[in-house]
Amino acid sequence: MINNTRTSHEIHATPPGDLAIWFFIFAELLAFGVFFVAYAFARAHNVELFNESQQHLNRLSGAINTLVLITSSYFMVRAVAAIKQGYSILCARWIASAIGLGFVFLAIKMAEFHEKFSAGISLSTNTFYMFYLSLTLFHFMHVILGMVILAAIMLKARNGSYSPANHTGVETGASYWHMVDLLWIILFPLVYVIR
Amino acid sequence: MDTPHEPHFIRPCTRIWLVLMALTCSTFAIGETGWSGTAVMLTVLGTAVIKVEMVANYFMGLRRTRWLWRGIVLGWLILVSGLITIAYLMTVK
Amino acid sequence: MQFQSQAVAKPYFIAAIGLFVGQILFGLIMGYQYVVGDFLFPAIPFNVARMVHTNLLIVWLLFGFMGAAYYMIPEETETELFSPKLALLMFWIFLVAGALTIVGYLMVPYATLASMTGNDILPTMGREFLEQPLITKVGIVIVALAFLFNISMTVLKGRKTSISLVMLLGLWGLAVFFLFSFYNPSNLVLDKYFWWWTVHLWVEGVWELILGAMLAFVLIKVTGVDREVIEKWLYIIIAMTLITGIIGTGHHYFWIGTPEYWQWFGSVFSALEPIPFFMMTVFAFNMVNRRRREHPNKAATLWALGTGVMAFLGAGVWGFLHTLAPVNFFTHGTQVTAAHGHMAFYGAYVMVNLAMISYAMPMLRGRTANSGPAQTMEMWSFWLMTVSIVFITLFLTAAGILQVWLQRMGSTPLGFMAAQDQIMIFYWLREITGFVFLLGLVLYIWSFFCKKGEAQTAA
Repeated sequence: MINNTRTSHEIHATPPGDLAIWFFIFAELLAFGVFFVAYAFARAHNVELFNESQQHLNRLSGAINTLVLITSSYFMVRAVAAIKQGYSILCARWIASAIGLGFVFLAIKMAEFHEKFSAGISLSTNTFYMFYLSLTLFHFMHVILGMVILAAIMLKARNGSYSPANHTGVETGASYWHMVDLLWIILFPLVYVIR
Repeated sequence: MDTPHEPHFIRPCTRIWLVLMALTCSTFAIGETGWSGTAVMLTVLGTAVIKVEMVANYFMGLRRTRWLWRGIVLGWLILVSGLITIAYLMTVK
Repeated sequence: MQFQSQAVAKPYFIAAIGLFVGQILFGLIMGYQYVVGDFLFPAIPFNVARMVHTNLLIVWLLFGFMGAAYYMIPEETETELFSPKLALLMFWIFLVAGALTIVGYLMVPYATLASMTGNDILPTMGREFLEQPLITKVGIVIVALAFLFNISMTVLKGRKTSISLVMLLGLWGLAVFFLFSFYNPSNLVLDKYFWWWTVHLWVEGVWELILGAMLAFVLIKVTGVDREVIEKWLYIIIAMTLITGIIGTGHHYFWIGTPEYWQWFGSVFSALEPIPFFMMTVFAFNMVNRRRREHPNKAATLWALGTGVMAFLGAGVWGFLHTLAPVNFFTHGTQVTAAHGHMAFYGAYVMVNLAMISYAMPMLRGRTANSGPAQTMEMWSFWLMTVSIVFITLFLTAAGILQVWLQRMGSTPLGFMAAQDQIMIFYWLREITGFVFLLGLVLYIWSFFCKKGEAQTAA
């Protein structure tokens, strides 16, 4: 229940939202970090294979998905701003739009997976595809988890459970959702672009 | 009690959002050209690092917290991007 | 004790400790057979002693979990147990079935036992940890179902707390994953693949939920910290446990014939398995530091804190030591695994059971805590057992590293038995330390009968 009013420019002792979610976020960052580094070193042993296989990825859908997640993340910033002003319904609407963009992300990603799976590509095709599929699938699960968290918060916001004095829940969900975005911001250039 | 004005962080965050979108487009454009090499790789990875810091400090609001929290994210970012860079430079002889 | 029906936990705890003594005795027999190979041969061959040692461990931990559930659930749900009679009936069935199984292991050759107990109808025997005859396995399922029915009905009619829900999830998971012990495909790869679904998903999955719930319960009781705070941590810890533990199963799939990607999945995710254990340690110490009351049962608090630390060391650190595929390539199936197994089982599951028994047993005997001298004796037992398991682990780790070096690396690798001869000294040291452990265990039991001093009675 600390840091409820963050409209001033003061420095806060703890990050926005429940501190417990931040431990979870750091653990998640560590998990993805290990995976990213493993990718980079596996590539170093197999540069040609990685560069060749990367050519077959749909870079456009990856880029659009980045834009989608960043915008969705921005909507959550607006949702937090709305609840700080006491606008519960407006807050719920911003969260709903963030979730809506989450669905757009999932749809684009599923189209991408469909394309790859129907081309007969699987985890065992080669090391590059193993990483591409497992990294994006693992991230995909996190998008779903994030959307579930946001949905729960949206319902509470709609019921008027949050107020300018008590909105830790909204910040907690927003922090997790920003993390999902943050990870994709690294994942996209790493797997789709850098060669 | 909060003022009914919009919170001070909205405008910076809107600007950050636009910058993030522009940087994403630049990364995509580099990908489309098919360029490769150390300079390109460093540009793309550097762009990602800057974007992550923007999300962490502005969207996640870490710039208004103690350095400990910003430091954890920054440290993680430097470690991960540093190791990725080392792995890439290993292949450029 | 707030509810009459909590009393059914008592026989479960007593049986658990009794079987624990048996486990340690067989451990000592085996430890001696490591150095004097024909000790007790042909009465108790090494493979039988090993089977009894590990099976007793699992059975007594299950007794402990069940006792813990019967003690915790009425208090958490604020209602009497659905059926205390059923709980007592299941206790006797489980105890008799368990005892008969052990007698079977010891009295007849394993192959004879298999043919006597219908292994031809549905072959399930002969696999490490799941050696139980078919009828015992069926018995375990019946006992587990009756137990789960009893506990679930109690939770349904009472207050629903996070602790009881996590406990229930863990116990149901335990029962569901045990069903894979009936699935024994003839393809050796598939056999091993699904065997781990019982073994790994127990100890590195659902048992951790049980552990988390039991630890949270004891911590709430001894510290008086707000339930809300403890529950929040519990959720974060179990979420991390499940994310890392489930895919972490991959660290068993490195060399058994499964696809190559398991080397990556197993390495990455199981490397993260220490995180939830680390959070558990931080959580335990944090709660004790923020305590709102001074509970007279200091011994139980010590066991709870010890669980956090030793689980992190044994399961987390010692697990991480050999979990990465390139390391495991050299270390799998060596004494490094045995080192990890000993400290992880003791640190996580033995200690949490002892913490629960330490907290609950005085309550069940009508007092808040044992007398001062009794608690001092119990704390001695804590240090004797804990320090000796640390040394056992260190000796086995040293033996394992040497074994890897002699047998699997270098230009002229030795054969298995030749390498064993070279590391005999560590087996001697381990065996001697084992007796210190037994001393600690005897002291633990003795402390419950210590007559000195005034026991603290409930206000």
